[in-house]
Amino acid sequence: MKFEKEDLVKLYRNLVRTRAFDEAAVRWLAQGKLLAFYHPAQGGEAPGVGGCTFLRDDDIVYPHLRGHGLPHMIGKGISPKLYLAEHCGKATGAAGGMGGFHSVFPEKGALGAGGTIGSCFPVSVGWALAAKKNGRGQVVVCFFGDGSANRGTWHEAANMAALWKLPVVWVCENNGVAQFVPIEDAYPLEDLSNLASAFGMPAVVVDGQDVMAVAEAVTAAVERAREGKGPSFVECKTARFGPHGIGNPDKVHGKDRDPRQIEELKRRDPVALFRSRLLEQGVLTEEDAERISREAEAEVAETEAFIDQSPFPDDPGMLDRALYAE
Amino acid sequence: MRELMYLQAINEALAEELERDEKVFLIGEGVQTGTFGTTTGLVDRFGPERIMDSPLSETAIAGVAVGASMLGYRPVADLMFADFMYVCADEIFLKAAQWRFMHGGLQTLPCVFMANIGAYRKLGNEHSQCPFSLVLRSPGLKLAAPSDPYDAKGLLKTAIRDNNPVVYFFHKGLLGMSGPVPEEDYTIPFGQAVVRREGDDVTVVAPSFMGFWAIAAAEELKDRFSVEVIDPRTLEPLDLDTILVSVRKTGHLVILDEDTERCGFAAELAMQVMEKAFDDLDAPIKRVCAANYPIPGGVMEKYVIPQPEQVMAAIEEVMA
Repeated sequence: MKFEKEDLVKLYRNLVRTRAFDEAAVRWLAQGKLLAFYHPAQGGEAPGVGGCTFLRDDDIVYPHLRGHGLPHMIGKGISPKLYLAEHCGKATGAAGGMGGFHSVFPEKGALGAGGTIGSCFPVSVGWALAAKKNGRGQVVVCFFGDGSANRGTWHEAANMAALWKLPVVWVCENNGVAQFVPIEDAYPLEDLSNLASAFGMPAVVVDGQDVMAVAEAVTAAVERAREGKGPSFVECKTARFGPHGIGNPDKVHGKDRDPRQIEELKRRDPVALFRSRLLEQGVLTEEDAERISREAEAEVAETEAFIDQSPFPDDPGMLDRALYAE
Repeated sequence: MRELMYLQAINEALAEELERDEKVFLIGEGVQTGTFGTTTGLVDRFGPERIMDSPLSETAIAGVAVGASMLGYRPVADLMFADFMYVCADEIFLKAAQWRFMHGGLQTLPCVFMANIGAYRKLGNEHSQCPFSLVLRSPGLKLAAPSDPYDAKGLLKTAIRDNNPVVYFFHKGLLGMSGPVPEEDYTIPFGQAVVRREGDDVTVVAPSFMGFWAIAAAEELKDRFSVEVIDPRTLEPLDLDTILVSVRKTGHLVILDEDTERCGFAAELAMQVMEKAFDDLDAPIKRVCAANYPIPGGVMEKYVIPQPEQVMAAIEEVMA
């Protein structure tokens, strides 16, 4: 895919918006406004944003847990307003306040996200089988972390998808640490793209801090899937700047993560990297970049006002209506 | 009326629904061949795209049922043995059962998980269970458990047409049982129990294979007690009204349940009857269930799973 200027600006804007909303989510959690818990995306925004921004509306995504799917949903063109109102438990949220951080926007191909890590794989195979059967050219893009692929669900789903040449792209957001467990304690592998080779799937490893590299790799894999050539695997080497979840200590082996290592990771901030590149290439001016940041902050403020004005759901009748279909 | 075996009735229900609605498809390990004859021959008529032999991957099979149902298909996932539901518990109990609810009712998941249940074949703990309670404690699922060929066909057709995930348990002890099955299209509404035998002295509620013994016990004891036998047919939704009407008439209740006694369907039903009809009971409710052990292999299973003598003893005890 050849990216036009407007594509690059869109990609940058989605990256900036994701960072802004992610920072807001952390603030709102501290204020008691965002309910439940929060697992920030900071440092790991590029795989979701890069992998989703150029999908079709009817392509289906399974968001990864980082940022509770914010990078993926913003990439997919879903309103963070409806998503975050839901996460704040408001009746104006996408699921009427029933879902919390379980996000759903069927009209934009976000059909659900589970709480059990690794359950993304079997359901994605189901969506992909339906997509193959209906012949509309839909592709499923399943985002998951290095921890997720430790599950046996990966094996069953990857095999079935490859066997039946299903239109699914597996995007691994490998940030090198699953909660408190570093990857060297979880795999005897250097690259998780090796997980694809057993099933004869093509796999690439990309710099997951380079949003364009992600977008190019995922777009190529999506096109391949759309042509009926089956699944492929994109491993994005990415980063986690903070703890697994807000309130968790940022430790491995019971000890704080090395601050020098985190400083090292932060030198490759995906937002800053892309900004510099676009400035260098003359795609953006400093003024453009500042304007995009201001617009993102304004969108956050507008979203916050919307959430503040929204009521909590108060009709227990919802429970029955939601439990069984007619 | 023409007679079919229970397994043929299941096969015919699948064939009719596959014919009727192109969104219906079947997926499972070896379904083109059919482990129990319930799916045998369907591939010749409907082809491998709709009668999908899958790898040995229950989790992915159940995932297919969940995912494809969300996109407008009506998948029937054949899990072979109900014991194997533990392998794909996330997909059945967290996803199929709960995703519509968690997403504010925006989606429907019309899928069927079919699996055989039941012991008495000395198959041991992982091929003999009757996990009603596992399903019942997952609101969002429906549970059908046919006890004869007529119900096997009618309930499966209803299950496939239902817009919710349905667990359809067929009993391995009933597969070869013959009975009248209409050739024309019919369905059996969920939540309608049937009185299998009318009686005035004691009510016996007996789902699935247990109905067979309830009738046998009623016959054996007919000179002493008039036994009313009720088959709930679906345990969720449960037709409590039919059971209450009977209990108000007889004043005595015995519940048979092939599942493990502890926290089981029998315990649940007994409590519901206590809440609604305590004053109508003339004696404490009795239950006959699998004892609180795993199901052992070999001949030892008889000490754990319900036996016909226990059914008769329970009737005699409540009538004493």
